Amino acid sequence: MAYELRTNVIEPERNTFDYLVERFGDRPATRYQEASFNVQPKEHFHYRPTWDPDHEIYDPDYTALKLTDPYSYTDPRQYYYTPYVAHAAERYESFAQTLKYIEDRRLLDKMPENWHTVLTGFLLPLRHYEQGAQMLLTNANRFGYGTTVTQAPGFAAFDRIGNAQMLSLIGLALAGGAADTLEDAKKNWLFAPHQQGLRRMIEELLVERDWAVGLIGLDLLDDQLYPLLYEHLDERALFRNAGPYSLLARHFHDWYSQHRKWLNALLKAWTADPQHAEANKKTLGDIVARWYPQACEAVATFAHGVADQAGSVSIVGAAERGFAETLASLSKAGIPAPTEGAASA
Amino acid sequence: MTSPQKVRQVGVDLQDSEETRPLLEAIEQDNPGANVSRMPGLVKIQKPGELVIRRETVEDRMGREWETHEFQVSIVSYSGNIAVWDDDEIVIKWEH
Repeated sequence: MAYELRTNVIEPERNTFDYLVERFGDRPATRYQEASFNVQPKEHFHYRPTWDPDHEIYDPDYTALKLTDPYSYTDPRQYYYTPYVAHAAERYESFAQTLKYIEDRRLLDKMPENWHTVLTGFLLPLRHYEQGAQMLLTNANRFGYGTTVTQAPGFAAFDRIGNAQMLSLIGLALAGGAADTLEDAKKNWLFAPHQQGLRRMIEELLVERDWAVGLIGLDLLDDQLYPLLYEHLDERALFRNAGPYSLLARHFHDWYSQHRKWLNALLKAWTADPQHAEANKKTLGDIVARWYPQACEAVATFAHGVADQAGSVSIVGAAERGFAETLASLSKAGIPAPTEGAASA
Repeated sequence: MTSPQKVRQVGVDLQDSEETRPLLEAIEQDNPGANVSRMPGLVKIQKPGELVIRRETVEDRMGREWETHEFQVSIVSYSGNIAVWDDDEIVIKWEH
């Protein structure tokens, strides 16, 4: 008996959803497109929120920053659930390996005393900073409009919890598995004078009505803190026999460079919008003018703390350079700089 | 031979998967006039003369860093001669 093998091509009924065909042409769509575009609920909101009867439950007016078409913004990393989770797991895995290496060789014990102070007195309290950041980003995720816009801060919020957990793991490693360092870290966050600028700013941002103010304000802090802690101090650590600090800092630094990608693209979408570009630039300029001096002051206070308690001679200067770098990157994004000079440290 | 020389087709066949989609888009963008035909599990891209795959375009589409050697993971088959394969681009063409 003879068999005849034939391929039978089944043409799919349609390539993708109609609205993606309208947007990108009749071709198979990527998962990112299918998971992100036109997902935002827009109508049939029966009731307005009791806590804000002026707005619909999902409403573009929760922020002063507008996009003509919210889907004109896309995440350059094209994260939807699957790639985000895969990437986050990879990140955690690689951090855990670093930490295990450090613990196995008891490298933290061999670190100079003042670098212990940097970790316990300054880095660990920032797990509460990360938690504040998580709440600000979740707020952007909830009140933003358009799924491509909101999912990016949503994923970033989970990243911040991840960062807080990574900092906590460092704390546990420092105390040999006990939570003492973490309890001290919380006291530091609440009471140590050099942390209060950061705490005050995070807490003030948390009560802002406009989610974008929270997002931009947080970014003004991040954009100074991350390079300071994970680039500048990383480099100093290598000079000063504090290798483990550098090994750990790398993970936060790598994360931040990925994090910037979606945020820069969002700033660009706001400032290049066909209808709202000018109004957006003005609003962004106002937000920066309101928060930039406070961010600089908070970071300067923090840097002075490191200088006083851990004997760093270069960190205050590095923080001041950071003020200017943040301004430069803002003007590169088309956001007008605040009129007065940088807050003096 | 006296007949005018015919420009021969070069082409690559890629797996049709989520990972190769941005790659395909990049190739379409860099090679106007390329003919793309879809088969079950396979995408055939053909173009007369020359086909180029540029790292930068692929990276733009993927939103991450991409090294040209990763191209091998997606190729099922190709026709033509690989004239250039360096860090920035891959060029497939007939050279003789």
